[in-house]
This record gives sequence, C-alpha cells and structure tokens, in this order.
Amino acid sequence: MIILALSSIVGTTKLMTPYLTDLAHRDDADRFQYLASHLLLTAGTPTNWGQLISTTPSSLGLAKCDTLQPYELDIDKVTRLNNENIYSLDYSDLWQALGMKDVSFQIEIKPLFQLSIELASDSTQGSQRVYEFKIVARKSGMPLSTNLNSYVILKDFINETASSTSSDGFGTIKIGIPNSLNGTALLLVFAQAMVNPQMVSVGVYPFGHNLQTPLPNGAFTRLSPLNYVLNASLKYATVEVSKAQVFTFNYNFSLSIKTQGAQIIEYNIPRLLDASPMVMVLTGVNGSTSFAEFVPYPQVPLQIGADFSESIAGSRIAVYRYTATVDSALYEVVTRWGGLSDNV
Amino acid sequence: MFDQKGQIRIIESFLAIAVVFSAVLVSATFPSAPDLSKQESLASIGTQALIKLDTNGTLGNMILGQLWCDIKTALDILLPVGVSFNLTIYDETGHLVNSEVIQNSNLLGREAVSVQYLCSTRSQTVHFFVVRLQMAWMG
Repeated sequence: MIILALSSIVGTTKLMTPYLTDLAHRDDADRFQYLASHLLLTAGTPTNWGQLISTTPSSLGLAKCDTLQPYELDIDKVTRLNNENIYSLDYSDLWQALGMKDVSFQIEIKPLFQLSIELASDSTQGSQRVYEFKIVARKSGMPLSTNLNSYVILKDFINETASSTSSDGFGTIKIGIPNSLNGTALLLVFAQAMVNPQMVSVGVYPFGHNLQTPLPNGAFTRLSPLNYVLNASLKYATVEVSKAQVFTFNYNFSLSIKTQGAQIIEYNIPRLLDASPMVMVLTGVNGSTSFAEFVPYPQVPLQIGADFSESIAGSRIAVYRYTATVDSALYEVVTRWGGLSDNV
Repeated sequence: MFDQKGQIRIIESFLAIAVVFSAVLVSATFPSAPDLSKQESLASIGTQALIKLDTNGTLGNMILGQLWCDIKTALDILLPVGVSFNLTIYDETGHLVNSEVIQNSNLLGREAVSVQYLCSTRSQTVHFFVVRLQMAWMG
C-alpha cells in the first residue's frame, strides 16, 4: 500500500514538473516581445549615446532620438553594435544597459535582401581588361527584380555602371579597366528593389587587376565611421592614403579631411538624403602595393549578443523580427531572447 | 474476519491503482506550454510591415496605381519566410478595391491572424483605404 502511494506521488510529481516549469515561463513570450519592442522604439539614455564616443548608455534603446516614425533607428547606435568599429560597445555593456539580469539576448541587423556577386569572365580587349560579373538578388531564395548601380574603384579610376536584375533575380555587369593600372580593385554594387526604393542592399567584391589575389579588407587601415566622421587608423607608418570617397546608390563624393594626425586621419561624411547605405572607400599605397579598402555606414550586417547556436536542445529562445529604417533605407532586425542560463 | 480484511486490502489496491492512472491521464491532458521559438507575433509583424511599406505614402500610391503585383512583392520582402498572407483593400465606403488577389499562398485550414491598417494617398485629392492583412504560418 505504501509502495503504491509513494509510486503514485512520484509518478504524479514527475508528470507535473514540466507543466509547473512551463507555468513559471508562460509569460516569457510577452515579456521578451515587450523587451524587443522597447529596444527598437526607445532612444535609451542619454538619447544621443550613439554619437558620444566615450559614453556607454545607462539604458538601452536604438531608436533615433527625434524621430516621428516608429522603428526608425539611429545610424550611430546601430554602428556601435558592430565590433569592427573602434567605438563599438561589447555585449556586457549592452546587457547591463538593458537592465534585465535574467535575460540574455542577441541583435542581428542585415539588409532586407541578399546580393551575391561572382566574377563570370574576364578577357583582354585592346588596352583594357574587361570583367563580367554575375549578380543575384534574392530574399531567402526568392528572386527579386532590382535596379543596380555599380562602381569600380582602383586607385583614382572610377567607373559607374547602371544595370538591373530581372524577375529571376539575375543580372550582369560588364566593366573595362585600363591595363596600365594594377592593384586591388573594388566592385560596389547597390541594388534597389523595383517595388520600393527604400529597399536597398549593397555588395562589395574585391578583385585583383593585373594582380594574382586581392588584398583582404583591413590589411592597411581600420575604418570606423561614427557621427558622420570617418576615422581611418593606418596600420603602418608607410601607408599613404591618396583618396577617400563615399558612394551611395545615386551619388559619389570625395571626402574632405577633418583632422590628420600620426597614422590617424578623420574625414567628414556628408549627410545625404539618398535612401541607401553609404560605403566609404579609401585608396592608397603602402610602399609599392596599392590598396582599396571600404566600410559601410551604417556598419551592417552585424550580429552581437549571446550565442544561442550553442544552446541545448529544447531551451527556450524567442525570436522577433522587425523591419526598421536607418537613414531612409529599410533593414531587417532580428532579436533573439532567452533566459540567462542559455548563454551570456 | 481475516478474509474480509484481505478483500478490503485488494479493493484498496485497485482504488490506489485507479488513483495513479487517473493522475497520469489527467496530467497528460494538461496543455503544454507554447513553443516560444515560434511565438513571433504575426499581428505585430504584419502591422509593422504595413507601416514600413507606407513610409512617405508609398502604399497609398501603389493602391492608387493599382500595382497589385508590386504590393505582393513588397510584402514578400518585408514579411519573414514561412508566412502566408492575403491582402484585401477597401475604400472609404467599404467597397473592395483590389481587382486581383494579393496573396502568396492559400490560408485555408491555417490559424490566421488579421490586422487592419488605414492609409491614404499623398495627392491633391486625398483617398483613404482600409488595408486588411491576413497572415498565417505555413506548414
């Protein structure tokens, strides 16, 4: 009889435990969603923490401080989430600013659609080498019709080409570069969805012109845009920058120098109304090696926060996706939330 | 006397077994907690997609231009993969405006949510439209 009673208690307890645990977490979804909205709809403290280089926010919010639109994010707050920027915040700063001790989270910001660039062919025609690139615009596998505007940059040489991707998402770009030049060249491709000019994605393809392999981005400089100033930290004393430029879907300009110091140059970034991410390109030489390096502004794609990919199976992760505006262009923001035990 | 006690013990045993099994059955029928990984609020996602699509009056102008295919493509880009949707547009008097179906797949048999959004054109003659977006997770 005692055995029966005990087995009854144990069995019932075992069966009820998951349900009781679920009860304790049943409001997590609402709570996490509220936190995700709070993150994107409030400006944080101070409200302009994105522009204040040495300031860590005391409360976390990514919204632009004087905006009238919901889900409009501050370009500098977004940029400071990217760990490639010298002014970036780390996850522990963000976690403390959020102020929820039992919550871990991750923020991912990326363009609304993906752009892939592939060199299809190259051949010498007269005094120039002609490159043909295959461009594919897709949103999670779905092909997109887009208008393309591309730039090729090599030293002082710039070539601008307009093209498009058809309804199957494919497009081609053909450009010729004089054989008299050599070095790392950059192909910047801006793609604007035909259905909405605010849906813009940018792709960068470095390639070697009369050079075996292109040099990796960041080999000679570390570029960090913030508060419409580009900080270029030169990695070697022998690096000489010959030109700094900014590119958007419709425009390109040379950047003016704001300050110049030993191995650090600051450039003013213009405030453009173009609904497009900006890409800053620096060209120059280090000894006999010419380079072309770039950084987007806002500095996306980015991902910061807890690494939920290593969470144990069955752990609770809530995912909330939003479409947000940063400087008139639309981006996809994915926030992931979990308990502190999931990862920090 | 002893036999009667034994019979009562047997009856008690059966009752105890019945209690255990009823506890098991009742526990099994309790609803389990929702899977949070799938708990994205479709209504919130849909409303937000419509707000972003309507930035600078774009949605109203697309409706006025009867660009049904473009509206569908824009929603395909703005909504997450795996969301089925059906968009219906009404004018101020409640009459159906879209002459073509704006949807990416059928919502029949799925648990759908519906959001409504009021938009207007930015032209000299202002037109108002009520946009109803129904959504459901595929599969």
